[in-house]
Amino acid sequence: MEKALFDKYGGFSTVSKIVLSLYDRLLEDDDVGPFFDDVDMPRLIDHQTKFVSSLMGGPASFTDDHIERAHSHMDIDHLHFDKLKAIVSETLADFDVAEDDIKTVLSAFEDRRSLLVEKPNVN
Amino acid sequence: MSIEAINEQLLRAIGVGVALIALDTYAVRYRNDTFNEWFGENEGASTVPDFFPSLDLDELKTAIESGGKLTTETSFKLRRRKMTVALEFNRADDASENIAVLVCQNITRIKELESMIDSYSMMVERNTHEIKREKEQVEKLLLNMMPRAAYEEYKTFGVVSPRLFGPVSVLALDFTDFDALLSENEPGVVVSELNDIYSAFDRIGAQFGCQRIRTNGDSYVAVSGVPDPNEGHAKAVASSAVRFLRYLERRNATHPIQWNARIGVAAGSVIGSVVGAQNYIYDVFGPTVSAALKSRSAAQPMTLATNQDFARQVSDKFLASAVTGDTKPFENGFALIEEIADQDRKG
Repeated sequence: MEKALFDKYGGFSTVSKIVLSLYDRLLEDDDVGPFFDDVDMPRLIDHQTKFVSSLMGGPASFTDDHIERAHSHMDIDHLHFDKLKAIVSETLADFDVAEDDIKTVLSAFEDRRSLLVEKPNVN
Repeated sequence: MSIEAINEQLLRAIGVGVALIALDTYAVRYRNDTFNEWFGENEGASTVPDFFPSLDLDELKTAIESGGKLTTETSFKLRRRKMTVALEFNRADDASENIAVLVCQNITRIKELESMIDSYSMMVERNTHEIKREKEQVEKLLLNMMPRAAYEEYKTFGVVSPRLFGPVSVLALDFTDFDALLSENEPGVVVSELNDIYSAFDRIGAQFGCQRIRTNGDSYVAVSGVPDPNEGHAKAVASSAVRFLRYLERRNATHPIQWNARIGVAAGSVIGSVVGAQNYIYDVFGPTVSAALKSRSAAQPMTLATNQDFARQVSDKFLASAVTGDTKPFENGFALIEEIADQDRKG
């Protein structure tokens, strides 16, 4: 099996820095940030840690069902999804993640777009 | 520039919030830029309670009077971010004025890191727990296939080398008319009953130092003396065999499906090893196993048969007699044995 990106880029030591950087950017961003206005810091950090770990094949994984349920109460547009995608891409690039690996991460991310944006259950 | 001016510039520029507090009135007499950046939003604020409404003034007073110092924390939102600032009040060593220096350190990042470590360690712990559980399941499965000693050897060296064990005793059991039983009953029911019966045999065997080696349909093979030597191996299998039959008699009395077993026992040596490169199964081989199987085919339903050699080994506890009935010829003089002077019957 191919080595997971999580291990390839130095495990938790690197991922922790990516998480904090992503956390800073998300809160600063006026499109995505408001989603986190009422979220407790520990919960948000917990969420980001799991999010980045699962994107990079670390010790966390979410089923699509889980992802869909967790976001079902949010009003997420394509704009928000694209913005988050851009932020993730930017953050990974800042930590010297190779372009191909970023593409892999983003395509896994893109695969879940319909779970978050369209939400057929709600309509 | 005077020393005082340099000091003041420094005080303004550092990333630590500094303020001077008059302890009589709790008025904030001086505050630097960093302090204002964090707490200065409220324009009219001029006293400690204005800046920190949740701070317990009595606690501050007591702490300053007794130890000259109070350490606490405060949290607030800066835009969307939850900021946490550590506050330290220190009474100034100036006899002429009753003032305290308040030093504020931004510990937001530390708090965020703590949360992340919590989150990560929980993930890792959960994973470790899952791996441990899987490992236990694998171990349990492997222990079903081989004795613990063989498993330990397999775990350490990756192989189990064949070993000669002796003297040991082998017990072989099967059921008469098993095919008919299968065709007349639901397969699920038969398998479930067989499972109950084999589990009961395992328990009975364990009491006497007998271990199941394999089952194959209606065939059940157990040994005593493998892998740990057992001086009383012959009596162990004979006693188990008698109790297997007794268990079945009792069971048959209350169940619609009748399970009639034949048991053969023999003593000698066996070779024990794991067989198969992919599908590991621990098995025993040798003439002793064949002898037990031969005795089994000579046994009448619900009886226990053996050869002369074995009968002699257990003669102080078991009675031997010639096998009767139209069984296949059994060369070495066959014997049917029954337990005598049984502890259970005495009691």
